[in-house]
Amino acid sequence: MTELNQLIQNQGLALLGPQWWPLVWTLVWTLIKIILLITPVMILVSYYTLAERKVIGYMQVRYGPNRAGFWGILQPFADAIKLFCKETLIPQGAKRAVFFLAPALTLVPALLMWAVIPFSPELILADINVGILYVLAISSIGVYGVLMSGWSSNSRFAFLGSMRSAGQMISYEVSLGFTLIPVILLSGSLSLKDIVNAQQDMWNIIPLLPMFVIYFISGVAETNRSPFDLPEAEAELVAGYFTDYSAMSFGLFFLGEYANMILVCFLGSLMFLGGWLPPIGLLSFIPGIVWLAIKAGFLMFVFLWIRATFPRYRYDQLMRLGWKIFLPISLTWVFLTAVGLHLFGKV
Amino acid sequence: MLENYFPILLLLAVALATAVVMMAGSFLVGPKRNYAEKVAQYECGFAPLSRVRLPFDVRFYLLSILFVVFDIEAAFLFPWAVAFKDIGLTGLVEMLLFLMVLLVGYAYIWKKGALEWE
Amino acid sequence: MMVVDVIFYAFAAVTTLAAIGVVSSRNQVHSVLFLILTFFSTAALFVLLEAEFLAALLVMVYMGAVAVLFLFVVMMLDMDVSDLKAQAINHLPLGLAVGAVILLELVVVLSHSHAHVAAASTVPNTLAIGRTLYTQYLYPFELASLILLVALIGAVVLTLRERKKVMRRQVISQQIARTRSEAVELVQRKPGEGA
Repeated sequence: MTELNQLIQNQGLALLGPQWWPLVWTLVWTLIKIILLITPVMILVSYYTLAERKVIGYMQVRYGPNRAGFWGILQPFADAIKLFCKETLIPQGAKRAVFFLAPALTLVPALLMWAVIPFSPELILADINVGILYVLAISSIGVYGVLMSGWSSNSRFAFLGSMRSAGQMISYEVSLGFTLIPVILLSGSLSLKDIVNAQQDMWNIIPLLPMFVIYFISGVAETNRSPFDLPEAEAELVAGYFTDYSAMSFGLFFLGEYANMILVCFLGSLMFLGGWLPPIGLLSFIPGIVWLAIKAGFLMFVFLWIRATFPRYRYDQLMRLGWKIFLPISLTWVFLTAVGLHLFGKV
Repeated sequence: MLENYFPILLLLAVALATAVVMMAGSFLVGPKRNYAEKVAQYECGFAPLSRVRLPFDVRFYLLSILFVVFDIEAAFLFPWAVAFKDIGLTGLVEMLLFLMVLLVGYAYIWKKGALEWE
Repeated sequence: MMVVDVIFYAFAAVTTLAAIGVVSSRNQVHSVLFLILTFFSTAALFVLLEAEFLAALLVMVYMGAVAVLFLFVVMMLDMDVSDLKAQAINHLPLGLAVGAVILLELVVVLSHSHAHVAAASTVPNTLAIGRTLYTQYLYPFELASLILLVALIGAVVLTLRERKKVMRRQVISQQIARTRSEAVELVQRKPGEGA
């Protein structure tokens, strides 16, 4: 491996000279890393849609998709090809530029957030100091895709859906933000790597269980998932803000939403479930990334489980939950954590 | 430090390119057979009666102001949480004071029914 | 370093062009969208200055919250621009005055400050901000809470109208507290006796 690397370096230096080669090399190497990050995420997203239909199918004593390939294994590809080959409709009176910007603005932040997720101590695309704040900041951009699609499609279903959806997203972002504070208090750093390393002795879920519950429920609400999928309450608002979208522009909303769901699960495992740390030291022979995958996979399953179990919330109940229950509890817990940290040096 | 942000910049470019290629590709591949009824705005089959933009619901406005305020509050909490081990008791007390003041505001909006939706 | 310069000029150009877009586009929603782009590229400029915490905050607070507020208002109001156009001339002197003051401030600040602000070297700058903000600038920090309080109260006072006809307000605790004995009555009736 080192020989190969040496060979590439030498050839490159000879070809492009010492001025350009390091630049080109960084560029190419970063691109390779990005592709190695994005491709698994995309595959995970497409198989998560299959998993969703399968899991909910079995929970409702159905089979779920089982025709495309063995056990429906090719279903995501069939869906993707179908979406890709459909006609892209532009509704009458739509604001075209914004109409097509909206799906892109849903997918791009959803992918951007993955840059700072550490899959193991070494496996991280961009190891920045403000990791968790970066995720929170980028996730807050996601609301524009929703607002812009609703406004530009010139349909009242979409408009109403986007208003509701945006209202819901910003409400839960508040409690989501506050649940991160105790985690940061315990680690004293915004970097996700430090946050995991601070959990060597005890996973954050033990002192911060209520925060974890609030984080997860807010995550479900933030990604507009059932039982908080009011924006797309099909009985009243058809499909919500993306009612008028078709073909791949619809597909981008879909991809963005599922990428966000998976991200919520990964982030939850990193912040509360010890990330790549094994539950007991004895099991440390299993690589960290497997542990992370197991934990995130479990949370992803819970996402689906919730969807199959709970009826949809009403809008006033949803606002009440976010503002009147989650907000005070999380603020109180921030304070309790700080007091505990001050009195005992650790919680 | 900047070199850590370079991948993010590149990822931004790649993500944008992915989105554009996917949409443009689908637009080119897909059929283009639209007619007035097909592209008409979705309204369960009859012609829309009024304009799309509905009267302004002031609640959403209020909601977003509340969001701005609480977002700023969270913004103050982040550096506090990071530096907490250094600033110790002083930090604890002053953040308590800060939150107490905002608690008054929170109690006020709760009492006024600004958090109620019907 | 050359690459950094190229990136800086690219983002600076985007910032400037987007800012021009904010004031020149006819559609207010487009204006707000340009504003969002301005915020974003400004955040990128902050990153280039190694002020990563500020950049993240700019995205979180300005893009994620303040611009959402603008967008809400502008999207729902659906105003007619031509009316505003006519009035715009009347406000021109005031606008120019404000612009002049800001320009003056910028000149003063730029001429007095050091051209190169030293980036926090070893300490991550979130930590550096935390250390100074909550010790040295304790008083302004507490004042900020008062400003936020005023904002909260002001928002409610300005926008919330008391609704008299109100609404089926749900009290969940009451609903849950209902017992079977008070909610259901079982009555035995013989056929033909029922009312």
